[in-house]
Amino acid sequence: MGAMGEDQRERMEDATVDKFPEGLRVLAVDDDCVCLNVLEALLRRYIYHPTMAMDAKTALKMLRTGKVKFDLVITDVRMPYMDGFKLLELTGLEMDMPVIMLSVDCDKKVVLKGINHGACDYLVKPVYTNDLKNIWQHDKSRRRSQAISHMGRDNAVDERVHPGTLAMSKDSKNKRNNEYHSNKNTESTHSSTTQKSQGWHGQLSFITSF
Amino acid sequence: MDYSNLRRQAASLKKGLFDQGHLDEQFRQVEDLQDEASPNFVEEVVVVFFKDSGRLITNLEQALEKYPRDFNRWDAYMQQLKGSCSSIGASRMKNECMSFRDSCGQRNVEGCMGSFQKLKREHAVLRQKLESYFQLLRQAGPAGAATRPVM
Repeated sequence: MGAMGEDQRERMEDATVDKFPEGLRVLAVDDDCVCLNVLEALLRRYIYHPTMAMDAKTALKMLRTGKVKFDLVITDVRMPYMDGFKLLELTGLEMDMPVIMLSVDCDKKVVLKGINHGACDYLVKPVYTNDLKNIWQHDKSRRRSQAISHMGRDNAVDERVHPGTLAMSKDSKNKRNNEYHSNKNTESTHSSTTQKSQGWHGQLSFITSF
Repeated sequence: MDYSNLRRQAASLKKGLFDQGHLDEQFRQVEDLQDEASPNFVEEVVVVFFKDSGRLITNLEQALEKYPRDFNRWDAYMQQLKGSCSSIGASRMKNECMSFRDSCGQRNVEGCMGSFQKLKREHAVLRQKLESYFQLLRQAGPAGAATRPVM
């Protein structure tokens, strides 16, 4: 694959980032062609194997036939006919699959809705390189949880015992956001960057108040 | 043909787009995704973008007329468009999308119409400049040269 050279370069450049497994099978769903094209290229850059779908119904079919065993789903929130929440709900009911929500906005209500429906993360468009570098940890976290639950422990303990992963504990989300800040170019004139990270911090403080 | 001059012109055109705020950092990320495996990635995505956004703008224009004060409908179109704009780094267009959506939230028809006109103008300007940019790149050299993003 032509991307091998880039992979090695990325690893040398980012020695601080954990080694990530190649070949994570990601299903990305978005009715926006532009976003889907960029997302696919980004996923390939990290040697994930992306499959793209332009609507939730198609995505669900792919998940259900099981021809490809996906590790992770990334889905846009707002899509015609069936939205990301419905997809999230159905994948949650039918299969154990980490789902990342993707949206144009960082609306607190929408973020909470995603979390309440079982999303393991919430990304605001445009998706940045750093957002995707670490998504494999959701799959890793899920596998760990599965392994631990097989050992007969209480499932509620799982979410607290993995500080190194991006499980849904607030501490790990803080850590991720700190990495995000330090990795991002501080001179960026991208106003939605600040908006996005501030919005997310806003969500965190809201959540921790529970 | 003076290829280096053409490349300089392309670089200058692109720099202007950044300096004047038509494009933002996201465009650089898209450029970064272009490589030997997908040597025309940027232009391909840009073509898709203008096709999609053109369609959305046409649909919205019809909706503005056919469904007066239907802010939810108008906002839905604009939300879609904002997504595309942010994915490609079309910064000014994205900002107009946001203004439009703010006006929808305030149920301000005039505000919506004003933003929409600005959006259409920006769309046309960006399209024309990016078309010139890619044309310069094509003229500037063989396929091999075109894979290196012009700095």
